[in-house]
Amino acid sequence: MSARTINFTLNGQAVSTAIEPHRNLVELLQRFDLLGARESCGQGLCGCCTVLVDGVAVSGCLYFAVWVDGKSVSTVEHLDADGALSNVQQAFIDCGAFQCGFCTPGFVLMTHQLLKDCPDPSDEDIRDYLAGNLCRCAAYPEIIEAVKRAAKAAT
Amino acid sequence: MNQVGRNIPRLEVHAKVTGRADYTHHLRLPGMLYGKVFRSTVPHGLIRSIDTQAAQALPGVHRVITGADIQKLIPEPYYGPAFHDQPILALKKVRHVGEPVAVVLASDPHVAEQAVQLISAEYEELPAVYDEVEAMQPDILVHDVLRPAGTFADLKHLKGRGGTNVALDYHLRRGDVDAAMARADHVIEHTFKTQQCLHLAFEPFVSVAEPGDQRLTIYTANQSPSFVRIEIARLFGWPENRVRVKVPYLGGGFGGKLYIKLEALVAALSMIVRRPVKIALTMEEQFYMITKHATTFRIKSGVGKDGRLVARKCEVYWNGGAYADIGPRVAQKSGFTAAGPYDIDNVSVDSYEIYTNRTPAGALRGFGVPQLVWAYESHTDLIARQLGIDPVDFRRKNLLRNGRPHASGTVLQDAAITEVFDSVVARMGWDKPFDRGSETLRRGRGIAIGLKAVISPTTSVAIVNISADGSTTAYTGTVDMGQGSDTAYALIVGEVLGIAAEEVRVIHSDTDVTPYDMGTLGSRSLYHMGNAMRLAAEDARTKLRALAVEAGLPEGTNYPPAEVFKKRYGMQAGNVIGTASFVPSYKPPAPQTGQSDNVTPFWMVGGAGVEVEVDTETGKVHILRLVNAVDCGKPINPGVARAQISGAAIMQLGFTLSEAMHLDGGQVTNASLADYKIPGIGDIPPMDNEVVAAEQHSGPFGAKGIGESGTFGVSPAIANAIHDATGVRIMELPITAEAVLRALRAQAGRPLDDE
Amino acid sequence: MIPFEMVEPRSLEEAVALLDPTETTIRAVAGGTALMLMMKAGVFQPTRLVCLHRIEPEHARITLTEAGELRIGAMASLSEVEKDSNVAARLPVLKNALRRLSNPRVRNVARVGGALAHGDPHMDLPPVLAALGARVTINGPNTSRELPLLELFAGYYETVLEKNELITAVTVPQLHDRKSAYIKVTSRSADDWPAVGVAVTFSLHDGVLRDPIVVVSAATEKVTRLAGAEQVLQGAAIDDAVLRRAGDAAAAEASVLADAHGSAAYKRELLRVYLRRAVRQALDESTPQVRQ
Repeated sequence: MSARTINFTLNGQAVSTAIEPHRNLVELLQRFDLLGARESCGQGLCGCCTVLVDGVAVSGCLYFAVWVDGKSVSTVEHLDADGALSNVQQAFIDCGAFQCGFCTPGFVLMTHQLLKDCPDPSDEDIRDYLAGNLCRCAAYPEIIEAVKRAAKAAT
Repeated sequence: MNQVGRNIPRLEVHAKVTGRADYTHHLRLPGMLYGKVFRSTVPHGLIRSIDTQAAQALPGVHRVITGADIQKLIPEPYYGPAFHDQPILALKKVRHVGEPVAVVLASDPHVAEQAVQLISAEYEELPAVYDEVEAMQPDILVHDVLRPAGTFADLKHLKGRGGTNVALDYHLRRGDVDAAMARADHVIEHTFKTQQCLHLAFEPFVSVAEPGDQRLTIYTANQSPSFVRIEIARLFGWPENRVRVKVPYLGGGFGGKLYIKLEALVAALSMIVRRPVKIALTMEEQFYMITKHATTFRIKSGVGKDGRLVARKCEVYWNGGAYADIGPRVAQKSGFTAAGPYDIDNVSVDSYEIYTNRTPAGALRGFGVPQLVWAYESHTDLIARQLGIDPVDFRRKNLLRNGRPHASGTVLQDAAITEVFDSVVARMGWDKPFDRGSETLRRGRGIAIGLKAVISPTTSVAIVNISADGSTTAYTGTVDMGQGSDTAYALIVGEVLGIAAEEVRVIHSDTDVTPYDMGTLGSRSLYHMGNAMRLAAEDARTKLRALAVEAGLPEGTNYPPAEVFKKRYGMQAGNVIGTASFVPSYKPPAPQTGQSDNVTPFWMVGGAGVEVEVDTETGKVHILRLVNAVDCGKPINPGVARAQISGAAIMQLGFTLSEAMHLDGGQVTNASLADYKIPGIGDIPPMDNEVVAAEQHSGPFGAKGIGESGTFGVSPAIANAIHDATGVRIMELPITAEAVLRALRAQAGRPLDDE
Repeated sequence: MIPFEMVEPRSLEEAVALLDPTETTIRAVAGGTALMLMMKAGVFQPTRLVCLHRIEPEHARITLTEAGELRIGAMASLSEVEKDSNVAARLPVLKNALRRLSNPRVRNVARVGGALAHGDPHMDLPPVLAALGARVTINGPNTSRELPLLELFAGYYETVLEKNELITAVTVPQLHDRKSAYIKVTSRSADDWPAVGVAVTFSLHDGVLRDPIVVVSAATEKVTRLAGAEQVLQGAAIDDAVLRRAGDAAAAEASVLADAHGSAAYKRELLRVYLRRAVRQALDESTPQVRQ
């Protein structure tokens, strides 16, 4: 039950830490002062805790921290590592696709994943893919617009 | 360049899309302890014993604290904005399931959580009451005696009243309702109900207290930091200046994070253990903090042959839960608008805030008005149908217009009721042919309109500081929870000083720095703080001009501020500080009749139109189109204003169709996002949102608040549309598919089994 | 969450050995998305979790057997199944069901084996796979057995798995020209656990329906095949009257339970209506399967 040492790549950098098995990925990221992934509903439904593990989106609140041992973890903070916002982040700003901003990193990361899988998404594709991201401020109409704008910007 | 009316992104967008925005949720301090709350499992009972031994013995537990420990620090540990009725931790008695009874403190939140499971409490259970109408009878008493706070003069008469669950009764009388009813050609009466539901901000309630030398700093996700400071100072018997309250951005508020929530608890805990203490609730725990009132509304109207409303009688019962919170103000300050936006000579309103053994209820996006509009616009529609008058024509005949007295006696001004109504009707294409669908997929449409007053009187104070290089900083107590208040104030200050909004830095909510503000609530901020900010900027401008004169610069010339400072002080030095307080004029309503000729500084108007398709085999209601119109005066930041309309309307869509707290023996049975369903991206109908052309002459640059108005018409418009489609009328929220199917089957004489 | 021991065996054999035939606080975890919910809610407090994610990669493979059956390794993630080209070509009903199962993050992490072993009647995979005639392969210490999927489920969150057995694969027979449909009926919001799930497969020859399999989920305590409805459909030429009778038979025979999604009476109505609609949807495969 004691902490174990894990080695993984975090936003492009090799890192190492000791952590107990009962802690989740959001808690692990907090140790590295990465706060963009937030546990809110705690059930994988709201998407506020979205993190990429080996390039695939997971709910950080439903993912054991020790499972990233040997893997590559990427968070919202990595999107502007080169100093420039990603096209998705810019589209979210341009379309006013958020209010309080608490769920926004999750929506942004999921939109990147959506556009990777489906570069020119229909409304139906957007609705299906973002079904697991909730926004209590209900900026959904603006979010749909932002996804389309980001898709257009990428082509 | 004009600033007001520009469509600009919020100032903080970069921080929000990169995940770097500051929320209390993230705060960690050296030596900080995490508190986990042990909660009551019974709805009403006397505490016989609390056994904390095993929890205290768990390795890693710093301390377990109960109400008795709190009382050693604060002999009268009761708090609340309207009533001092809520103990920081339960004392002697628990009044609802989930009420905090003890707290475990540990450096590791998992240890605290584990220790909470080791606490046990024994209760002598008392009979409980959950329904607001039943609780009008004094058979089961939630509180022995009423404890109104001294804050509000008009609540003082309630002090010491006992033997009742009615925390507040409010009455309005205009004309002679009974006589008018007796003369009316038609008298029509209905009862409507709404459910208990809740805010569920995605940043759940979180507060941190950090004790210092002779002072205490509270970092908190809260919409009313000035009130927190005053209330914490009162509890400790301190002057205000020993308490500092800091609020960064909020991950959603919606009225939930108002007044005091966790702040008194973390403050007391941190003073006991002399270490920083953080309590962050889980999504589940939010169901035990604050909710939206369930209501029962009996409404009766008298109508003349000509279709004119001649009398309306309203009885509203607000289910306040176990503690008053701001419920009494909801019952009163919104209660007086219960007759709706209609020109009726004879009106009576009786509005009751009632204690029950549920999670407390407070303000939620509309301060009670959505519950009222649900009833009066469903009722109004039913009257029109019964009289065989088109619902649009019927409303148009009766709408209250500017220059006419409202039921409160205040003459309506700057309320674009007609414009909002016309906008909805026009965009619905009400006069055009409408596809009625098929036998199993029936289509219908409905409209509704609501009116709200702002809570009065309230005060905002603002500071505008011009530094020696000419850069400008605005200080405000308004909490920006996504509504874009920082940006709106930057636009206002920029407009006055002739600089771009993007150049104005806005400092919000740090009571050591930012001046008093009553709270970010009830769509009051843009009007009150906006006016204060405008005046403060004008004050700064005046002072800058005076400085220029002092510096020997010719009057009437427009030197850049930096040059003025340099000229006056010989180098880059000095400040110009503009300040202003704003409190609108107000006349309290007469206690017996609710009459006042100045009951609100401004009115808010919101209307909705809905087209639905009802699957008559399943009861599923598909919203084909949702049209919203709002009067917010002249919008300061039009894009943000439109997003407020759609956000409010979608939130209300959830309260209309799916959201409801389910109780079983006082226990909440669906305390999670898995079983309390809020709207997701798949639930959003095509929408058409409009800010109507209007002006609030007393508002800053013609503007007024908009955060709530988009909620008003949504629920009744949907019920009206379902009626139009199918002939069945739903009288209670939420309008679930099952409720619709049951109504359809009852209408067809083939009722569904109960089970 | 309360501390526990976590082991990450490198092989299936090792994993099985780390399980315990009697100890209920020792459990295997595949993707963990369902189990972690139970742990967070405090309804399951493990002493040891046996994580399967580092066992031999072959257990995550999706392959086509010589017989044309699709063999899905139990450790395949739901996303891998959703994106598999053979699934897309041969079992569009499965792909469509996956597309609306929970959300992409859960599908990326949850594993097929875990989704079945959990025994939750609200899940989407069990009814679809059951209607497709799938079989599960189960391994224990030195044992291996195969069961029709429907026989896996013993009750509400209950399966016939021994505590030291693991599902290792699911085998889905060829659909050939059989028609298929699955409708997830949500009653509260568009994206939700189903109030009722209805899966149907059948053959159609000269307008006559043959060998139907009708499965209901979510409304019943476990995924259940509805023989009465199948009987009505067997050999029938499809018209509204037959579909109504089949829906009535389904509503009459299923033991429907009330829950937060609706009363039993309401869910029976949903079953009655959506059984009809599922058959119609299966018949009209040219139109893409749409939201209910």
